[in-house]
Amino acid sequence: MIVLKALSAIAVPEPKPDEVYEVSLFGRPYAFSGLKALLGAADLSKAGDRLCGLAARDEVEREAARTILSGLDLQHIYDRPLVDDSGRADSVMRVNYDIDHEVFKTLAPLTLGQVKDQILAKKPADVAKLSRGLTGVMAAALAKLMDVHELVLASKKLKRSAKARTSVGVAGTLSSRLQPNHPTDDLATITLLVYAGLSMGSGDALLGLNPAIDSVDNISAILRHLDHLRRETGAPTQICVLSHVKTQMACLEQGAPVEIMFQSLAGTDRTLTEEFDVTVGLLDEAHQMMATKGPLAPNAPQFMYFETGQGSELSYGKHNGIDMTTTEALCYGLARRYDPFMVNNVTGFIGPETHRTNFEMIVSNLQDHFMGKLMGLPMGMAPCYTLHSEITVEGQQMATELLTAAGANFFMDVYLGIDRMLAYFDTCGHDDQTLREVHGLKPAPEYLEWAISRGIFTRGEDGDVERGPNWGNPRIFCSSDAELKRLLASVPAAYGFENAGPRPANTVSRKVKANMAAAREATYTEIVPERLGSIAFRRIATGAASKTAHLDSPESGAHIADADLKAMSPEASDVQIIVSDGLSAEAVHHNIPDLLPVLMDGLDRQRISAGKPLLAPYGRVKLAESVGDALCPKLVINLIGERPGGDAMASRSLSAYLAYRLPEGETREAAVRFSGNPDIRYEYTVISNIYQNGLPPVEAGSLIAERVNQILKFKAAGNRLERTLSAGTQAAE
Amino acid sequence: MDRLPHHMDRVKLVGLDFGSTTSSALVASARLGLNCATGRMEFGCPEIVYRPEPVFTPFDGQRIRLDAVAELMDGWLREAAISRDEIFGGGAIVTGLAARQDNARELAALIETTIGDAVVATADDPRLESWLSFMGSCAGLSRARPGQTILNLDIGGGTTNPALGRDGNVLATGCCFIGARHLRFEPGTYRLTGASEFGHALLDGLAIGKRVGGTLRTAEVMKAVDFYIQGLEAIVAGDASFFASDLGRLVEQVPFASESNGPPHAITFSGGVGELVYAAASGQPLPTQTFYGDLGADLAQGILASKILSRDLRSCVPEYRGRATVQGLTLHSTEVSGTTLFLPTPTLLPLRDLPVVASVTGAADRAALDAALRLAGNSGRGACLQLVWDEAMPSLEQIRRFGADLSAAMLCMPSPGMAPLVLLTTANAGKAIGNYATSWQQVHKNLIVIDEIPDRSAQFVNLGRPRHGVVPVSFYGLTSPQGDAP
Repeated sequence: MIVLKALSAIAVPEPKPDEVYEVSLFGRPYAFSGLKALLGAADLSKAGDRLCGLAARDEVEREAARTILSGLDLQHIYDRPLVDDSGRADSVMRVNYDIDHEVFKTLAPLTLGQVKDQILAKKPADVAKLSRGLTGVMAAALAKLMDVHELVLASKKLKRSAKARTSVGVAGTLSSRLQPNHPTDDLATITLLVYAGLSMGSGDALLGLNPAIDSVDNISAILRHLDHLRRETGAPTQICVLSHVKTQMACLEQGAPVEIMFQSLAGTDRTLTEEFDVTVGLLDEAHQMMATKGPLAPNAPQFMYFETGQGSELSYGKHNGIDMTTTEALCYGLARRYDPFMVNNVTGFIGPETHRTNFEMIVSNLQDHFMGKLMGLPMGMAPCYTLHSEITVEGQQMATELLTAAGANFFMDVYLGIDRMLAYFDTCGHDDQTLREVHGLKPAPEYLEWAISRGIFTRGEDGDVERGPNWGNPRIFCSSDAELKRLLASVPAAYGFENAGPRPANTVSRKVKANMAAAREATYTEIVPERLGSIAFRRIATGAASKTAHLDSPESGAHIADADLKAMSPEASDVQIIVSDGLSAEAVHHNIPDLLPVLMDGLDRQRISAGKPLLAPYGRVKLAESVGDALCPKLVINLIGERPGGDAMASRSLSAYLAYRLPEGETREAAVRFSGNPDIRYEYTVISNIYQNGLPPVEAGSLIAERVNQILKFKAAGNRLERTLSAGTQAAE
Repeated sequence: MDRLPHHMDRVKLVGLDFGSTTSSALVASARLGLNCATGRMEFGCPEIVYRPEPVFTPFDGQRIRLDAVAELMDGWLREAAISRDEIFGGGAIVTGLAARQDNARELAALIETTIGDAVVATADDPRLESWLSFMGSCAGLSRARPGQTILNLDIGGGTTNPALGRDGNVLATGCCFIGARHLRFEPGTYRLTGASEFGHALLDGLAIGKRVGGTLRTAEVMKAVDFYIQGLEAIVAGDASFFASDLGRLVEQVPFASESNGPPHAITFSGGVGELVYAAASGQPLPTQTFYGDLGADLAQGILASKILSRDLRSCVPEYRGRATVQGLTLHSTEVSGTTLFLPTPTLLPLRDLPVVASVTGAADRAALDAALRLAGNSGRGACLQLVWDEAMPSLEQIRRFGADLSAAMLCMPSPGMAPLVLLTTANAGKAIGNYATSWQQVHKNLIVIDEIPDRSAQFVNLGRPRHGVVPVSFYGLTSPQGDAP
């Protein structure tokens, strides 16, 4: 078992003041203040780095930065740890310095350009030796100097396998993590998605579910269910429920089968601790617990699983001024500490504020894959996207072809590519099998034998493995047609199990793509006031001047544009309603004509005054607070389109955010006590899933009107209101 | 997040079936939550957590032994480690010959006292029994064969309960006194040890001159069994003439009128006799004749020999066979409401034995509403109206108009009082309808609107306590969709 070095025993050089890096290129002078700025400018342009001013202004400036970077030796990088806002190297940076100093000594005098050339020129075994001598920042710097061919070639040399119950990453294999997510953790759906995935030869890396509810009871129940499915089908694999590491530790303590311990990582301490509620100490504890109590620990050398992805630190505004590629590499430096079984990269998950285009997503994936492998990690890849970015399934498929050529250990299997809980799009079992067939790869060896025994694959006399008669048929795991039908009844976006070779049948693909197209249209459609019914609005602008600005910069839509703000003054209304497109104008078009009249009727009958509704294109949820501060109603209702998923109807889904403006005095003090947040100014009650097949708009209008009355009556919203109402009900009983 | 229960606790459901021969219990655990594919609340992933062996229903002559039944129920609850407060829903039914005993209704009352408010208990409710048997035995099979009509014959000791269904919905039900236990024998022989009133009528009607103590000859047994088989074949064929004879009229309790057009129905069996039929069809030997002291094995043999009745035995096999009624009681007798109800005073619930006085459509005019509310006004303890919409979701204008008309009609009720008026509606619009009808709770404070409840032809309804924002609803006293006399 690996021994974790104490943080205090890891030597980190004293931070140095930023220096100015200068170069003249074709007679034009370029200067970059500090290593962070230089690293940022050396990368290909991506939305997130542009948003925070780190990207180069043009291609020549980028090459100027790369020229400087190429000439820096590794000792120079080593001597300048990137610091947080207080000027210190945080714990994630510190862990990155847990390197093999003997290896580093051989590299220290070499420039990054020389090291890059060595990686490309040397044999795989020699390249692999470098990994323990590099920090994340060094790996990121090297990635920024490489083009696509170089990223693929170098990664291919660095194939790295790991073993739990199955071996993942063995040469000649391509595995998959089966992700049977469901919005309510419905066990029937989970069962069918597991059956469907296994029937396609997926899940040899992991059966891993992202839960909807992160409670010990729920996670334990799902773990036991996955364990049951694994045993029932006999599939040699391992299971995991991707809840918070603390929850999994509690589950393990209570005897639940936590075979693989998961946690999302971040490349800065602030993101890791403040947003993910994780410290290096806690991860150490989880690792130790798995090593001693984990069900696979006695036989499996590896049992930790981490997920990362470019941009999470930036999206939380906690990136310490470091670019996305470099913070991602710092995650790998942290992951390396625990010798994990799997690292999965989900770059593209966040949205257009980090990666707007196919090109940006593909490049980041290739960089991440290279950096992870270079740092000795068993990298799996999940090139993915949301519909409010410009990334498409075609771009995702190009990424997978390149990543398979580069030797990725595994991809995801999300049924038909549509995650039914997280409203994003990932690879599917069809993609995984297609890539196997295109690149001549097989599943993990232990799993393959089982899959052959179930007729999922066949092995010919020449040893070639092909799809078998049961490939893609989940019925083989069901006791009857009726059972299959019963399981299917709770699966959203189930467009059919028919296949054409390793691909979905055309009829299935057409349904998937049509629904996605309609869903994406919902995001890019502009609000048309004439489609909002008969109620008159006053129109205001937000800080986002265009749809593109709105999608690229979430912050811009969270406040009223200066010109409109100047014209606004406090009004004496109880309630102010805002209608905003958010991430789906179609949600607004399809719900507001029925919802708003009912809401206005309800407020009127309950004698609650309301200002003339505001129509605010390009708005975000927090716009409610900007409006609340400007007009000073007691409560702001923000009716706003939700992020579209993969279903055309569900992409018309609206949410109502009821933002209660906490008055000074007793009410504010009660809210502070309840939340523990001394700066709290608003409390929120949220009503979501408003659309014809969810909470119909007429019913939603009525419900919102009732909630408004309760909030004003009890002077509380959100969980504090729920507690008050619940106490009232119990007293009445 | 508002309290929309996308994810909920598991709840316990209980079914108790007191039949002519045996009594069964079942306890299931199910997840109460939103089906993301249908958008409706439902019991998901049911798991049977307690299924004791059936026991003989304790009779004492013409009466059911209530003290023995009370002991039985206490034992079941104890073994299942479940308290009455934990029970979210389910049902108990007294069926067949047991339902015709003098104290059957006392038994139903005893069940309610023992098991609690959450469970509907009813005796002599033959259409409900047929419905439950279908849902319990082949609801899944029926949904798995879209468009196929399935006729399930639930054959027990006292009755045969036919139910025709398609796509998991029951279309027609009936009941007749064809059962294994109208004639009772010394096990292993045909020496008659007892007979029900229908057993005696059968002997008389078929001119079998034997009485208790006598032994039936093989030809006489065959005559009785043939009569029953002909009755079952008549049900399958939709041949009403069989039940027009003197003996047929006596045997028929609730006429079964099914669709006779279209392709033939697939036939399935459930109940004790059904279980024997499927066991034999799968190659297991039938028990020796009168092994159980009745005609069960003979009836099963007769069914297997009938080309009409046995045609689908291997191609259309239900999920549950022997204990379909108790399975149906447990998993299907309670409907779950939607989550946005109009329930200003939750403590008004539970409400038991509420008469369903009328069913109106969303397009009902004032006159129709006035008539329905007059009937409701006649029930001093409250009443229920079923509100059926043609559309999956009515429009804003439809709801506003209906709400206004309902409000006006309520003002004209003969005795508006405070007795609860419950509206059960099919659409997901309970809160909006209630708010428009009461001007957002300003008037008509006795109105309750429970939504997303399927239209069901029944005489009575029970509403349980709300839990996680939803209300369990159970119907009993089922009538035919065309209407039975109450």
